[in-house]
Amino acid sequence: MRRILVLTMFAVAAMTLVTIGASAPVAAEDVIKFGCAISLSGKLQRSGNLYKKAYDMTVDEINKTGGVTVGGKTYKMEIQYYDDESDATKSTRLFEKLVTVDRVNFLLGPYSSGITQAVSSIAEKYEIPMIEGGGASATIFSQGYKYIFGNLPVADEYFSPTLELLKKLNPEHKKLGLAYADDKFDLDVATGLRRMAGEQGFELVVDEKYESGATDFSSIMTKMKAAAPHAILVAGHEEESINFIHQAKEQDVNANMLCLTVGVTEPDFRKSLGEDAEAIFGVASWDKNMDFKGYVFSDNQTFVKLYQERYNEDPDYHVAAGVALVGVFKKAIETANTLDPKKVRDVIADISLDTIYGKVQYKPNGQIKGGTSTLQIQSGDIFQVYPNEDAKPIYPMPKWSER
Amino acid sequence: MQYFQVAVNGILLGGLYALMALGMSLIWGVMDIINIAHGVFIMLGAYTTYWMFALLGIDPFISIVASIILMFCLGFIAQKFLINLVIRADIFITLLLAFGIEIFLMNLVRVLWKSDFRRVTVSYAGDNLQLAGVTIPVVRLAAFAVVIILTIILYIILEKTKLGMAIRATSQNLEAARLMGINVAVTYAMTFGIGVALAGAAGTLWSIIFPITPIMGGPLTLKSFVVTIIGGLGTMVGPVIGGLFLGVVEAFGSSWFGSTYQNFISFLMLVLVLIFMPHGLLGWRKK
Repeated sequence: MRRILVLTMFAVAAMTLVTIGASAPVAAEDVIKFGCAISLSGKLQRSGNLYKKAYDMTVDEINKTGGVTVGGKTYKMEIQYYDDESDATKSTRLFEKLVTVDRVNFLLGPYSSGITQAVSSIAEKYEIPMIEGGGASATIFSQGYKYIFGNLPVADEYFSPTLELLKKLNPEHKKLGLAYADDKFDLDVATGLRRMAGEQGFELVVDEKYESGATDFSSIMTKMKAAAPHAILVAGHEEESINFIHQAKEQDVNANMLCLTVGVTEPDFRKSLGEDAEAIFGVASWDKNMDFKGYVFSDNQTFVKLYQERYNEDPDYHVAAGVALVGVFKKAIETANTLDPKKVRDVIADISLDTIYGKVQYKPNGQIKGGTSTLQIQSGDIFQVYPNEDAKPIYPMPKWSER
Repeated sequence: MQYFQVAVNGILLGGLYALMALGMSLIWGVMDIINIAHGVFIMLGAYTTYWMFALLGIDPFISIVASIILMFCLGFIAQKFLINLVIRADIFITLLLAFGIEIFLMNLVRVLWKSDFRRVTVSYAGDNLQLAGVTIPVVRLAAFAVVIILTIILYIILEKTKLGMAIRATSQNLEAARLMGINVAVTYAMTFGIGVALAGAAGTLWSIIFPITPIMGGPLTLKSFVVTIIGGLGTMVGPVIGGLFLGVVEAFGSSWFGSTYQNFISFLMLVLVLIFMPHGLLGWRKK
């Protein structure tokens, strides 16, 4: 009796396995498979999840409106996701798995410069194109790789429009205070800022590096307070940005301008800080009020509306960069008229496509052509204040004690 | 004036270090167990506060009581049914068990609540006091006050109650304590419970000041360890002095050399203390 039971259980288990095994390849017919390992948990999860939202929404839209046509045949797009838990080592392993085990056709990039640089070697090794919207460090694009394309503008000129704005607002205000995280992208931003400050006659009165993921900024706050810069510039990640603002208020550190590389555009940032987010400046490559024609979506406004309906929040530039890159893939595959990764790669390198993120064209090293703009939170909403002739930036920012 | 500000920052953070280390030092001193899982209990205390704040809207300075009671129970049970099994074994075994508890609890929390950063944002979070040119954040000051209160309570428990006498007696001479009719098993469980409860309290205070995540425990265990060694084992004043000392040294260190050097400074202190004062800053008391 017992033996029969064991045998039955074994048979059921075996059959289940067979069924699962058999069903997978059937679904894979007429599908272009994209692979993506991204930070769905861990310290980068806030920004990481934005890319997943962007990818999902664009793929759904493409599939709904006829899919991708290759050689007269229509394909649906499909994405295989993994969670890299904000860990570059894990990410590299997962991307390798996507290529060798899951056999995906193309790769969608992860978030953060560090992780992107790590996984770019996988794209190169297997000669599978990866377009990414989450890594802007110059080091990613100085490796001579041919299969990595990036949608974020180059890191070391990130603060350029902020300095321009500062000159316009008050040419006398030359003292800058810089705090930046000890990681690739932010090191690049800091190096770039030092160079630009030197060229344009700004003085860096505070220049402080902090450990990536740092929670306590007391010592930086003390220095900022003592040196009293006109503008405080922070290059870090969203979590650090939120902490930084919290502790600036806690320690009553005031400046005429407080400008962040990451945070201002993200809805979570404003939700988390509430009133304290008011008048904070930020740098971004895209803004929801910009007037762009689209590719998958007819134009920027249409896209923003659909995104708001679907996710109940405003999209930010991470999302826009992600949406644009999926569009670039569709266009490139259709133009190449094949799924051959090498041919698709060559089309991407020469592409010129109007997307909701603006015109996408890549430099020979794979990085997008184009720059950033400076934004400000005003009455809970984001406005582009530079370059923009009609903008009315709030400057100086109200002091914490006067809010 | 900047020096005053740095010193105040250091003392306020040092208070938190002191509270973290008090629990670890107590367990270490009495039971000779280096509780590697200490940071995880701090993390659990922080999450207790977070959930009570997020779901029920309870102010952290009130829910700290719940955090203490809950963590005490957890510590008591963990000692009685788990650690007690290996209490007489080699130090390596107890270390290993504590390490196992740490990994298990940390990953359990990761699975249950994800690795996201979370924050207890009370309405008075950004408020501060201005005192002779020095800015004092209200939340950190309140947390420091709580540390003082808890330290006094612990002192009273250890010095004035029967339980405290039992704990001290057990730590001084196990056999003699047993002969005097002290129930060593219960005393050990109570001690571990109190140590973990202190970790829970420290977690609550941590969660008001900083964001929390399931993996926050590891660095905090290290910090508690360093403070315990610096302060010296076997006294209650040790961790307090050690915590404040480390807080101030770190504050000045990161102000002079940059904040990326904070951990470097902690461990430099540890090494220096081990070389020149192997029994800790208060080690002379033991001699």
